[in-house]
Amino acid sequence: MRKCLPLTIALFLASVLTNAGFSQAITLTGTVRNSSTKEVVSAVSVTIKAAQGGTYTSEEGNFKLTVPHLPVTLIFSSIGFETKEVVVTSASEPIEVLFIPTSSLGQEVVISASRLPERILESPVSIERVSSASIRTAPASNYYDMVTNLKGVDVVASSLTFKTPTTRGFAGSGNTRFNQLVDGMDNQAPGLNFSVGSVIGLTELDVDNMELLPGASSALYGPGGMNGTLLITSKDPFKYQGLSMQIKQGIMHTDGRERSLSPYYNWSLRWAHQVSDKLAFKLNTELIQAKDWLADDYRNYKRLGTSGQIVPGTRATDPNYDGVNVYGDETTVNLKDVLNQIAQQVPFWQSYVSSLPSDIPVSRTGYTEKEVANPNTVNYKISGAVHYKFTSKLEGILEGFWGTGNTVYTGSQRYSLKDLKMAQYKLELKAKNWFLRGYTTQENAGESHNLTVTTQLFNEAWKPSTTWYPQYAFAYLNAKMAGSSDLDAHKIARAAADQGRPVAGSDLFKSLFDKVRKLPIPQGGLFLDKTDLWMVEGQYNLSSAIKFADLIVGGNWKQYVLNSEGTLFADKPGHPIAINEYGAYAQLSKEIVKDVLKLSAAGRYDKNENFQGRFTPRLTALITPVKNHNFRFSYQTAYRFPSTQQQWIDLDIGTGRLLGANRFLWEKYNLISNPGYDPSTVPPQGNNPTRIEYQEVKPESVSSFEVGYKSLIAKKVLIDVYGYWGNYENFLSRRDVIQFPNGVPGPVYNGYSIVVNSPEKVKTYGWGASVEWQLPANFTIAANASSDKIKDVPAGFHAYFDVPKLRTVLSLANSGFGPQKLFGFNVMWRWQDAFFYENDFAQGDLPAYHTVDASISYKRPKIRSIIKLGATNLLNQYYRTAVGNPSIGGLYYVSFAYNVL
Amino acid sequence: MLRTIHNVTRKSLWGLGLLIVLASCNKDLPEPEPIVPPTPSGSSIADIVAGDPNYSILKAAITRANLTTLLSDKSKVFTLFAPDNAAFQFSGIPNEAAINFFRPGQLDTLLRYHLIGGLAYGSSSISTAFPNMYLQSMFVLAPPSTALPPGLRMPIFPSRNSFGFFVNNIPVTQADISAANGVIHRVAAVVAPPSQYLWDRINADPNLTYLKAAIQRADSGAAASSSLQAALQNPAANLTVFAPTNTAFQQILTGEITLYLMGQGMDQVTASATATALASSPTVFQNPALFSVLTAQVVQGIVVYHLLGNRAFSINLPNDDTNYPTLLNTAIPAHPGVTISASFGYTGVTAATIKGLGNPSAANLLINPTPAPNGTSDQLYINGVLHEIDQVLLPQ
Repeated sequence: MRKCLPLTIALFLASVLTNAGFSQAITLTGTVRNSSTKEVVSAVSVTIKAAQGGTYTSEEGNFKLTVPHLPVTLIFSSIGFETKEVVVTSASEPIEVLFIPTSSLGQEVVISASRLPERILESPVSIERVSSASIRTAPASNYYDMVTNLKGVDVVASSLTFKTPTTRGFAGSGNTRFNQLVDGMDNQAPGLNFSVGSVIGLTELDVDNMELLPGASSALYGPGGMNGTLLITSKDPFKYQGLSMQIKQGIMHTDGRERSLSPYYNWSLRWAHQVSDKLAFKLNTELIQAKDWLADDYRNYKRLGTSGQIVPGTRATDPNYDGVNVYGDETTVNLKDVLNQIAQQVPFWQSYVSSLPSDIPVSRTGYTEKEVANPNTVNYKISGAVHYKFTSKLEGILEGFWGTGNTVYTGSQRYSLKDLKMAQYKLELKAKNWFLRGYTTQENAGESHNLTVTTQLFNEAWKPSTTWYPQYAFAYLNAKMAGSSDLDAHKIARAAADQGRPVAGSDLFKSLFDKVRKLPIPQGGLFLDKTDLWMVEGQYNLSSAIKFADLIVGGNWKQYVLNSEGTLFADKPGHPIAINEYGAYAQLSKEIVKDVLKLSAAGRYDKNENFQGRFTPRLTALITPVKNHNFRFSYQTAYRFPSTQQQWIDLDIGTGRLLGANRFLWEKYNLISNPGYDPSTVPPQGNNPTRIEYQEVKPESVSSFEVGYKSLIAKKVLIDVYGYWGNYENFLSRRDVIQFPNGVPGPVYNGYSIVVNSPEKVKTYGWGASVEWQLPANFTIAANASSDKIKDVPAGFHAYFDVPKLRTVLSLANSGFGPQKLFGFNVMWRWQDAFFYENDFAQGDLPAYHTVDASISYKRPKIRSIIKLGATNLLNQYYRTAVGNPSIGGLYYVSFAYNVL
Repeated sequence: MLRTIHNVTRKSLWGLGLLIVLASCNKDLPEPEPIVPPTPSGSSIADIVAGDPNYSILKAAITRANLTTLLSDKSKVFTLFAPDNAAFQFSGIPNEAAINFFRPGQLDTLLRYHLIGGLAYGSSSISTAFPNMYLQSMFVLAPPSTALPPGLRMPIFPSRNSFGFFVNNIPVTQADISAANGVIHRVAAVVAPPSQYLWDRINADPNLTYLKAAIQRADSGAAASSSLQAALQNPAANLTVFAPTNTAFQQILTGEITLYLMGQGMDQVTASATATALASSPTVFQNPALFSVLTAQVVQGIVVYHLLGNRAFSINLPNDDTNYPTLLNTAIPAHPGVTISASFGYTGVTAATIKGLGNPSAANLLINPTPAPNGTSDQLYINGVLHEIDQVLLPQ
């Protein structure tokens, strides 16, 4: 299928060329200027009233438009300006339009809430929007980070360049309950199951807007969006033209806490060009490079399968120390077993050995993340699109994204994503009433490896545990017999067994580590993954056909091709696993009482070949008793099929084996004929051994009810509040089982982590509120607070809800002060409460934190540029967004952006 | 007016911006907490010894051996069997001045033999099971090395029964004196490390000349390295020898030879007289005329039936008849072994019997735990312990 692509491009170009003819008509030209500053305004939409066709003003504020006859009425519109109608009677003189700035508060148009354009104020469900204008002046070092400050959003940072946003709980990197769509394409890496967010996707200069739908959104966007959907849309090359660039230079690690002072680079370039009325294209590229934040939680972690807890202890004080961000020390052995074997060989030690405790767990010496993970985080993206208007009604788009980078991700372990490559290619036909698009996501994990497993195997490659532990045991006993206290004996023993241990960074270390990380699992830490996703989807707006209401229908077909050569999934080299999914949806909406009541009903049916089909409805009502005061009510359901990993993973993670839900895997490990046991029921933990029998896994689902209120008061204050209640059912999670070779509990067993549906219903509820207030002298003050809670979590069940009970954002901005009002600033304070964080990697208390981002910008309108001085985490107060994730410090930068105004 | 409001608002907004920046102060990220082992409380072993006038000789010995620093170190753990002044006097060292007759090195060795490193063995942790515990003292014979990873230390043998707690059969007079760096048990005599092998005793003891001859007879034809004599000289061996006295051998030999001679047609009186004469010297085992009766194999079978493959001091012998395997079981695994029973008092064993399968009655352990050459029970050697008995044990 990969080979089809060049052919498709050729076909597309052929059609472009054959459609190049167009009839001659009258051409109008003109310029749009800001009425108060007299600066030119670019990217203003210019359309012909009551007719087809339109254009945008160029970077110099100029436009050129062909009209069939005179006189015509032109409509000029752009966010932040009053829409203006101009009657043109003559084409001889260029048209001069003075555009009056106005408040854009509540006026922004969003598309994703109903898949139809509507004012944000009148959205029937909660929605948040980030515009390119706000990106320009935001303190965030990267546009993607801006979602952090939206209400109800939690972002988990696994690394500087790997951030995972979510809403309404269940945060975590690799969150599979939150969809991210970039120009309509699902951004999830199909094999690794995390949304690649900023790794590939849009470059900062190409982002037109981001729309965030908190809460269930499957009814329109398909399986997955149980907790929310983020839609990022790029800039249309017809609308935003010319060459723009941005150079952001920063510094990080200013206090040397994690690493020595290091630079941060973020350079991007965009070139868009309109070749003719019909053809436009754009090219984008961006490079981000820095020394990553460091995951440096060296607290002791007591592991119990995929669960565990933070306990006191350090390498020097706990022989079984297993640091959260220390790898290789997960390997643990009961030294008593080794001592007993020695006592068999050395009978005169028997009495002494039997006087020792029966449980002497000893872990191998690990290496910190700093010692094993590549500190360079790099992200290089390139993307481009060709837009062609076949007619004024039909546009074809060919778009491609390609990205590569080094970053670190937290899953069941920390993964170094090295030379990860992702590509997405899309071909789309878009008309006024319909679209049809096909796209593919091509993933290549490159040299990505699991840091825990790689380091464990590195230790084995240097000195096998079968040698290390006996050396340790002999030295331990000899030290004790010489009078050492227990802890001192352990220290002496470790020093003896670790003699000659490669020093991190030494040549021996590097060559051995590289050898291990390049070997595929299970011999090494490398996971091969070249999984692809293929998707075709279309939508038709039948409103004009049925008249009495708005009706849209759509459908999609999706195929995953899992290809890991057996290192991640249960596929075999040359025999990838295919998973097919299809779905269809319809939405009917009707304004029952004009400007007062609008209702909509949507439904969606999806079927995955491995699971039963699911129907999900959505009902919404928008009540506007008084203009600009909107009450919204919605009932939505959403669900998700188990992720590709939850279906087909077959991975030994050192502490056990992760298994997907597919029956094939149960059969492969005999878990049907010899079911495993619930470890908590087997002695010594319990005394009522209970087997876990095979059960077909169902898609998990949520039904959620939401009420919200949004209003605009005096065109100055925008208020938005919401409350929601969600019911999760058939919650997908993992549990540990232990299988005994002969079926009867004994000392020898195999551990598995299997996918199950929770029998209980888990309830979540929460609220959010925000206010944005435009003040005199160009000040804007904004604040938001939100809360998400979970209840009815069965004892012992890990929901991985992982969000604070309360988070707040307060910001103060000024969009123009100083001489000619060319300066602007933005200060943003964010706080979140402490909570107990749990995921497969680590669990523990996550402290509350504050952080302040700030920026000052200076506009140079003549060259349409902005110089910005910015800082994220201005006070360099380190915080973590998850247990085991990096501690994030201050990043200070100066940026110059050209041709962005 | 409006202007003033604007100005005030503007100023307060700038102030607010500043406040936001200053307001946020995070706590430090959580750091790993070391596990702090409980600080040892109380006095060190050295302090306790120094502070008790009853240990003045021991203190003098520790000082002269330069072990004060080691025994004061509260980061270490020891079990010390501490002879008090009475114990030293019992063992022939009358006072502190007498300590100076020893070289510091000798005292170091002697005292380290009284120490077990790394564990504080309370009396309750001493096993009452047969055989007694076999622990490593801090008297190092060969330090651990790559060739010999465990090293070699002179073993020490704490034991316990319902009457008391002993070490190498020496009674502990006061147990469980806890110190910051371990535990002290006061003992009734100096716990001297053995300096001889079992063979040295058998070879030299005029009352065990028949046993010696029997061993030599049993070894005839065997390679020197696999001989019983070699085993009795091997420092790594670990044996209990029930050593029949010369009288015991004479008795059994006389009887057996008489029967043999009568079988050859000799009348009983002559046979008895001849046998008594033949058995009157240990050379009886070298008498070719008797080789067909006292074959190397038969003698070997009898000798190994007197050896246990572990070191059994009398303290942990069973109260009631209990069978234990002997080295004969290495050749005949199903053999029931020997039957042992013993009775005890506060000073240790008061009576003990051991019966061979072929004996009509049980032999008595000759109880006298005093040191060689006079002692006849619980005689400790580098490679085992020896008890004299008054009958030869017959395996069948």
